[in-house]
Amino acid sequence: MLKGFQSIFIKELKELIRDPKILLGMLVIPLVLFPILGLVLGYAAQTAQEQAQKATYLVIDNDGGNWSQTFITFLGSSIRTIVVNNITPQQVLEQGLLTQNNSTQFIEIPAGFSANMTAHTNGNLAITATVNVYGVFQGGGIFSDIGSSAFSVLVSSFNRYIAPDLVRTTQSTIIKGEIQTGIDPATLSGLMMLQSIALPITIMIMLTYSMQIAATSVAMEKEEKTLETLLTVPVDRFAILMGKLSSTIIVAGLASVAMMVGYNYVIGSMTIGMPTELSVDLVKLGLVPSPFGYLLLGISLFITLLSGLALAVILSAFASDVRGATAMVGYIYPLIFLPAMALMYLDINTLPLAIKAVFLAIPYSQPMIASKAVIMNDYATVIFGIVYVAVFTVVVMYIASRLFATEKILTAKLIFKRKGFRKTAEPTE
Amino acid sequence: MDARSLVKQFGNIRALDGASFNIKQGEIFGLIGPNGAGKTTTLRIICTLILPTSGTVKIFDLDAVTQAAEVRKIISYLPEEAGAYPNLSGWEYLEFMAKFSKTTATDIKQTINEAAAISGLGERLKDKAKTYSKGMKRRLLVARALMTRPKLAVLDEPASGLDVLHAYHVREIIKRYVKDYGVTVLLSSHNMLEVEYLCNRVALVNKGKIVVEGEPQELKTKFKSANLEEVFAKVVGYA
Repeated sequence: MLKGFQSIFIKELKELIRDPKILLGMLVIPLVLFPILGLVLGYAAQTAQEQAQKATYLVIDNDGGNWSQTFITFLGSSIRTIVVNNITPQQVLEQGLLTQNNSTQFIEIPAGFSANMTAHTNGNLAITATVNVYGVFQGGGIFSDIGSSAFSVLVSSFNRYIAPDLVRTTQSTIIKGEIQTGIDPATLSGLMMLQSIALPITIMIMLTYSMQIAATSVAMEKEEKTLETLLTVPVDRFAILMGKLSSTIIVAGLASVAMMVGYNYVIGSMTIGMPTELSVDLVKLGLVPSPFGYLLLGISLFITLLSGLALAVILSAFASDVRGATAMVGYIYPLIFLPAMALMYLDINTLPLAIKAVFLAIPYSQPMIASKAVIMNDYATVIFGIVYVAVFTVVVMYIASRLFATEKILTAKLIFKRKGFRKTAEPTE
Repeated sequence: MDARSLVKQFGNIRALDGASFNIKQGEIFGLIGPNGAGKTTTLRIICTLILPTSGTVKIFDLDAVTQAAEVRKIISYLPEEAGAYPNLSGWEYLEFMAKFSKTTATDIKQTINEAAAISGLGERLKDKAKTYSKGMKRRLLVARALMTRPKLAVLDEPASGLDVLHAYHVREIIKRYVKDYGVTVLLSSHNMLEVEYLCNRVALVNKGKIVVEGEPQELKTKFKSANLEEVFAKVVGYA
């Protein structure tokens, strides 16, 4: 073995293991964060399945023949159905039948279904029957098409029971109250999910990176004692804080604009390179934000960044050096990572109320929630998020200003005790 | 400057325990003592950075607690082992700091020129501070502390960690400035020889208390010692 290796190795290990900040960041957070994420995903999947099982499915019978009755009976043995006769899919929407029955999917048995079935069973195998499946698009998410896929599964079962490939399905999606014929909800969900991954990842990187910069900026001043010097010159202490925040606000503003430009490009290029049969024009479907949507999303991003920067400034005030400050802002990373990772896969509207409330309460969820909401023209959710984060930011900035106005900016320090950690003052010479 | 019965409590630690001393206008006053004696805490209270738990500090009749903003206009503080902004040049740093005290462009330029002369850094002032040696950085900061001609300059370990030549330069700057402009200086050091060379009067601090105060020569005579180190050792019962 290399001479001295063992001593250096043991010393390094002791240094690392005995630093509670490193322990927390490297071990506790991953060990806690990922199980929580797993629980959220598992719970969401279970809830989606339960909801699909409990859901009422509308069956439109425009055929009225024997085979349609057999098919409806077959469906009814597995799912809860409400049968409506002689109505077009458009009328279903116009009469609000989906809303009345608290349903998001329906299946239409078109006229001629029984005739085709009879012809096929009588030996004319070239003739097949068709049913039309319609699903309401709710903003994407990994479990959002569980309901529409239920129909596909049941049709396959029915075919196994009668004859292979006898009944075929066409898929259509209802987007913002309009039927988009031939658009498969599953394909659309997959496409939107690609889009919904790009923004949370970018937001996650931008938030963590800018918070590190803000925290380092204050910690550098403390470490180099330039802050100590500044606090003794004839300048308003609030001006020092605002000067620091203002420069980061400009950076945050530029970052928000850059992000909007990049996001717009991602959406525009989403269908490039996709097979023609899967090609879906999101612009034509109305699944891109309007100019107002972009504006709201930009504001949401900006205010969230500002909030994160102000919080980073406060936390770094409790650190005596740059290393401590970066570790300190690491404590809020779970609040960024958890919603970012979860909302990549989940639609917040499909989550159980308790989990939804938790995500809404985390300020850093808001731009991620907003990115999906603006596509669905759900501006109320975005505006609520902006107001909520703005209030949170004002509170954080007030605390930051109080901190800068007192000696705590120099003396406050978080120290770890065996039983938890507490805030204390740092003795000086 | 008059400090009376200063007490500072940090949790369970009593950093200052009733320290009292006064400084006459135009003199260099030294606070000396070992690490942890309470020197920096005293300086921080005087410079309005922290509040005393009890006791008062008057600087040119201004109260350091209730008139902190006014006090900041007439003092200048140099923290121990302070740095400058690494990505600003020495010149930019001086300009940045001068703007807090001076308002007109002429005054600001004059102040910076004065600081440039004090520091003796010449053309190197155009370089970023991160390229400076420790000695150069300290000279820049001492120049910054004195350039506004404050009524009271508070210097915490002004020559700490510097090599012989840089330390000599810094001490000469302080002496010259006090002589030329009548600035009052309060400095702290645990280098008793340095203090003996620079200060008109000194106070020895130990465990948060002023244990003895007077002129260096007077103290050496009183305690029959060759230098202030010996005086301190005798006062605290170490020798």
